[in-house]
Amino acid sequence: MANVTWTTVENEVGSGGINKMKLMVGGALLAAAVLLLIVNAANGSTQLYVTVEEYHQRQERYEGRDLRMGALVVGDSIQYIQLTDTTSRLEFTVVDTYNNPQYEMQVVVMNEPRPDLLQHEATALIEGHVGEDGVFYVNPGGLLLKCPTRYEEADPAQHIGKQ
Amino acid sequence: MIADIGQISLLIAFGAAAYAAIASLVGAVQNRPAATASARNAILVIFPLVAVSSAAIIYSLLAGDFSLQYVANVSSLGMPTYLKVTALWGGQAGSLLFWNLLLAVFLFAAMLRQWRGEEHLIPLVIFVLAVTQGFFLLVSNFLENPFTRLPFIPADGQGLNPLLRHPGMIIHPPMLYLGFVSLTIPYAFAMASLIKGDVDDGWIRITRRWTLVGWLFLSLGLILGGRWAYDVLGWGGYWAWDPVENASFMPWLAATAFLHSVMIQEKRGMFRLWNMGLIILTFCLMIYGTFIVRSGVITSVHSFAQSPIGPYFFGFLCLVFFGSLVLIILRLDQFKSSHHISSFLSREAAFLFNNYIFLSILVATFIGTTFPILSELVTGEKMNVGEPYYEKVNGPLFAALLLLMGVAPLTMWYRSSAQRLQMSLRWPALVTTIFIAVLYFVIPLHGWGSPLGLWIITFSTILTLLEFGKGTHARMKGKGESVWVAFSSLMARNRRRYGGYWIHLGVLVMAFGIIGVEFYQQQTQIRLATGQSLSLGRYTMTFNGMREYAGADDLLITEANLSLYDNGRLVKTLTPRNELYTRTRQPMTIPDLRATIGEDFYVLIVNWEGFSANAATFRAYFNPLINWVWAGGFIFIIGTLIAAWPDPVDEKVKAAAQISALQPAAGD
Repeated sequence: MANVTWTTVENEVGSGGINKMKLMVGGALLAAAVLLLIVNAANGSTQLYVTVEEYHQRQERYEGRDLRMGALVVGDSIQYIQLTDTTSRLEFTVVDTYNNPQYEMQVVVMNEPRPDLLQHEATALIEGHVGEDGVFYVNPGGLLLKCPTRYEEADPAQHIGKQ
Repeated sequence: MIADIGQISLLIAFGAAAYAAIASLVGAVQNRPAATASARNAILVIFPLVAVSSAAIIYSLLAGDFSLQYVANVSSLGMPTYLKVTALWGGQAGSLLFWNLLLAVFLFAAMLRQWRGEEHLIPLVIFVLAVTQGFFLLVSNFLENPFTRLPFIPADGQGLNPLLRHPGMIIHPPMLYLGFVSLTIPYAFAMASLIKGDVDDGWIRITRRWTLVGWLFLSLGLILGGRWAYDVLGWGGYWAWDPVENASFMPWLAATAFLHSVMIQEKRGMFRLWNMGLIILTFCLMIYGTFIVRSGVITSVHSFAQSPIGPYFFGFLCLVFFGSLVLIILRLDQFKSSHHISSFLSREAAFLFNNYIFLSILVATFIGTTFPILSELVTGEKMNVGEPYYEKVNGPLFAALLLLMGVAPLTMWYRSSAQRLQMSLRWPALVTTIFIAVLYFVIPLHGWGSPLGLWIITFSTILTLLEFGKGTHARMKGKGESVWVAFSSLMARNRRRYGGYWIHLGVLVMAFGIIGVEFYQQQTQIRLATGQSLSLGRYTMTFNGMREYAGADDLLITEANLSLYDNGRLVKTLTPRNELYTRTRQPMTIPDLRATIGEDFYVLIVNWEGFSANAATFRAYFNPLINWVWAGGFIFIIGTLIAAWPDPVDEKVKAAAQISALQPAAGD
């Protein structure tokens, strides 16, 4: 290994150095490279955020597109079916509101565990697309449930009263 | 009664903060030391007052006073005592009170210090601190009050969510809060310097250790959060680029950039404006993070519910950001420096590149986090970016950062010789290339991403280790010390520098782990009848059966018995289980794993079909190098402690400077 000693050129500080223009050009090039990275990464990684109602009102607009939906889980609809040794199907229905919902969406998740938090009143964040059969097919790893104790009920008395 | 005392105490604390803000302003504007002293005393009073409020909530949690809405929300009679105590930060209102408590502790400690040499800044420092504490106390008193009572008294509370009953989650939020609140101190000094027009490196020097401590807690919070996710959430991962995770990562990025760039200001008197901007950015990101986590403005799996506090946090964020911006504009002429970067091959240029990269990662993460808001503003459609976005942007940027981590310490201040730099990089590059080539054929590595990543990490690790080696060798040669004495003296003599190298080493070890998991993780999900097996990696797992039994509290536990074989040899009996909290019907999946330095075999029960079926579905993960992530985190924290530990040489120099400063005064 080469034994390196360094030269500190203190007396050159005043005489030379990088001028501001060079620094600005360098900085601009780096910024452009990062911007390119961001634009390139954003293309193809975006999902449109829709509610159940928005989807049903403008179905043709959302067909085939990558969607992200945040909605309430209907507890009675949850079903976990073991189709074969290596294939499972998790089904449930989501709505925007429990009070007379106009629309609902059936959700299917293939080959994923049933999350602990998947229960009535949980908010599910789902990523995927809606098939021709009107079912929301969740991407692998695309089912997330809101962590319930880090948020509190809008009306805690309602929650406590339910027990 | 106890709750009433807590409520009154919280109100008085708010009054004290408001008084401290007014008195300190009077002290600063009218140059009245008595007003400043009074403001300081008011700040000192806040900590005991908030401590009384916090004690009142803890008492109510322990006593099961379910007349309080907060207590009923986050605790229950059956919860263990330690969880009742930690439920203080289990919900919105309590965690804000806890935040107030930690902030008050830091302010109390700050007020007890003498701050020699920077006394002229103290009135304005108190003002900034009092306004910040006052804002949080206002929220706790009038918007999210933990002492709010219910119209009726329930027989029991709903209890703390089982997911949060994990040591990592008990420690993780306080660590993040400590990180956030401790960064208030350097921000307050920066603002005071800015208002005074005294923007030399005094505020940086005097708050360096506070910044490092804040950064240490933030780092600990992030690492512990990752560990919690890995242990509890059952998806075999540790980071998901969720908005709430990003909310704590962004201030960390800004603070890391700041900790690097202040060295240029201390050494060369450059980058004053940049550093001022970075500490403002760090503080603003802290408020911004709190805003998005607690307002419900961005949908996240971790965020609190929609809350009325959102607009108030946004208002405070605007006040901090635009107020700081106006001050910077007013003082712009003070930031001029006659120094400039001498060469692209210099230590200061390396720090500048480092800052560019940190800020680029920050900008990319910020854009990703706020994409739903930005896209709605621009296109009218709310869009979201997922994990692939962050991986595509931040992957190359982190690679560049890791490379710089190895090369930058070889550069010199002012200018380095290109030829000598090339010479010192040549051999490590060759050794690294041979190592990766061997790995490529032995493991084998696949694609180009992981070999390139491993090349960069190995190269930087060799360079970092060489720095330790060169320093130790120099002491052995110069002072005739043994290897161990030379090494330990090297650490003790220059803690900041070598603490930094330990931190780099920790990051590099973590990066090895991340490459292992991200590129080589294997997983499978399969239904097994009793006696059947699955194979994953070099492991075979056999399902022996299930048992069901009652656990502590109201738990009903369903546990699988699995034999794990490594190349045919029984190495461990794994017992993943499902826990059911029977009262609340809340299930909890607890994975089990076999951990070695090389990998984890991680398994969880997906579905159990009952005793009659004698079958269950399992998901198993083979996670190569995952434990390097945690080991790297440990090295990282040790390195930060070394860097933050007071240096006896520095202390002596400071003491001598203080004595010499006092001597002319005595002569007068």
